[in-house]
Amino acid sequence: MKKILILLVCVLSTLSVFGQSRMDYSTVNTVTQVGDTLVVKYQYFKGNGADAALYQFDIQHNNKLLDIISNDWQPTSTSAQKAVNTWNGYKFTIDSNKGQTDFDGQYLSWLNNTATYTSNTDWSIQRITYQDVTALEDGAEIMKISYKIKDKGTTNYSDYTNLINVNWANYKEADGTQIDVTGQSELSLNGIQGGDAGNVVLNVFSNVITNNIGDGSHYGYTIYTKEDFIAGINQNTQIVASGNFDASGQATIQGLVNDTEYAVTIFIDGQQTYLDNVVTISDLALVFAEAIGAGNDPNGVSTTFDYYIQKLLGNVVGFGTDSKVDFQDSYEILAFLQGITTQSNPIITKVGNAYNISGIKSTFGDEINGGPSFTPFIKPTDANKSFEFAHALNGDVNFSHSFEPISENADIPQNAQTQSTARSMRVMGAKFKSETANLDLISEIVDGMVVFSINSDVFGMIGSQFNIVYDKTKLVLNDVIFDTGNEMTNFANHIENEGKINIGSFDQNFEVTIKDGTPYKLIFTPIQEINNTAGLITFKVKEGVKADGTQINFIIN
Amino acid sequence: MKKILVILMLGLVSACTHDILEPIDINVVDVPESLVIGNVSGLKIESTIVSEEVRINAKLPYDGTYRIKIRDIENDLISQEKLNANNGNNLLKVYVSTLPKSSYTIELTENDHTIIGRGVIVVE
Repeated sequence: MKKILILLVCVLSTLSVFGQSRMDYSTVNTVTQVGDTLVVKYQYFKGNGADAALYQFDIQHNNKLLDIISNDWQPTSTSAQKAVNTWNGYKFTIDSNKGQTDFDGQYLSWLNNTATYTSNTDWSIQRITYQDVTALEDGAEIMKISYKIKDKGTTNYSDYTNLINVNWANYKEADGTQIDVTGQSELSLNGIQGGDAGNVVLNVFSNVITNNIGDGSHYGYTIYTKEDFIAGINQNTQIVASGNFDASGQATIQGLVNDTEYAVTIFIDGQQTYLDNVVTISDLALVFAEAIGAGNDPNGVSTTFDYYIQKLLGNVVGFGTDSKVDFQDSYEILAFLQGITTQSNPIITKVGNAYNISGIKSTFGDEINGGPSFTPFIKPTDANKSFEFAHALNGDVNFSHSFEPISENADIPQNAQTQSTARSMRVMGAKFKSETANLDLISEIVDGMVVFSINSDVFGMIGSQFNIVYDKTKLVLNDVIFDTGNEMTNFANHIENEGKINIGSFDQNFEVTIKDGTPYKLIFTPIQEINNTAGLITFKVKEGVKADGTQINFIIN
Repeated sequence: MKKILVILMLGLVSACTHDILEPIDINVVDVPESLVIGNVSGLKIESTIVSEEVRINAKLPYDGTYRIKIRDIENDLISQEKLNANNGNNLLKVYVSTLPKSSYTIELTENDHTIIGRGVIVVE
């Protein structure tokens, strides 16, 4: 009997020592976005602890990341006494000699000042007190607190860990006996999306910048929501952000939301004078070659181009309705170089009419369904806030003012490219390539007239082009003298009101070459008295093209 | 009569001596102070910042054919004049109305491109 009594005392003693309840807190709903409402339930589990008459606990939450919307008591007892106290700007410092989840121990430490509240503007405290003559049942929810999830982008926090802690719990039996309470150390959230993306960086790439034709500040951007972009852009579409790149081709954008998709379109300043140099004889040669050669393969899929995007860039008429570069396109470009206005309204880039194409650089021009594709979409995330874009101009088949694709998926497979012997003499492999040759371009006064002559000893050119600007306040163009050979097609596009003249030649059969000597001579009459001509006539575009498509950049000493 | 002949002879001798010792600059022009070049040859530009046109002095070592070149920031030649000019000072003009706002290099060379002088202008 004595032994039995001893055992009984031991058992009772054990129960007394290890009798423990819990203070649990967990999320009620699933939250994914900044702005979502997070509901947390604070729940009593009796465990093997005694019935309680007082349930009191302190909660702290990160007020930079959570904002309290409401406190909702859950027990329905009419006899209960309830209170919620709130203090902002404090954080609990635990008694480090006790475990953080030893809630009753931390309570006692707080009472004797070995655990304290210290000032901290990032945290807020709520003290929940519930007292009733009737004990709560095991698992009873005491309180549900609703929090709004705030944007971490405006804080110093990089994630949503450790949002809520219970600092201590004071459960007491009716006779005032302290009940042991434990629970979890913190509540965190993962995968919360949205919020201010902060600084999002865009970079634009083009040969205009790479080759110092212009600089990055000549480019601008417009950002739309993905949904609006897909629905179709019109004058009523809301613009999320817009602006210009800096000289290096970089723009920093603010006001975007993390984990949200946007569409970015990039455009060039349409008034830049070099836009008149985008489409030249070299582009014409590439388009003519494609018109002659493409599709002559038995299965009709061959092409002279190297990139799918060239099918778009060279397709200057019938844009969107036919996907082929054909003779109509080549004649439209030839007409453009000759200064002839057609009814087709070709999509050829020039001053005042820049036809912009842009997309993510790494996939720029990737093939989809036999044609090029361009991805305008970006999605800023915590891990990625920088995006590289490429830009091209329609008509610029040789990429002189555009970005030449780098993605392998943008390349037309070699087995789809023209390989026939007959066409091997013509432009093939249309990738931008060039070589140099010497020319002598001079102006001089001869018998009272100003003569501008282009002197060449270059052989093998099937085309050439010179864009010349003259001072129209001092000179009047009298005559253009061609001496390029009898079979060559020459052109002279005189834009008198701008003081410009584009002259050149092109053999559409890729057979006849331009004569050496002085193939081009311009005669001007001075309308003011002049003693010399320095600076009266300038030239920027001066290029030739060989039968194999190589662009010749003329060097003038 | 003998005296007259002697005076004439002295006059001729004097004239010949003068020609040999001090050759006459046949290209005599009134050079403004801003364009004076101290050396035998060279190029001087009246103003660095230019809007419509600027005067230059091309001082040349001999009569012949020369070139005036305009180069852009990448040293590409964008305009070139070939002219026959005289030994000495040649007051000329460089016209810049067709040039975009930028900085350019003006070069004076012989016909074989040997550089005689260079200067920089800024078109605004």
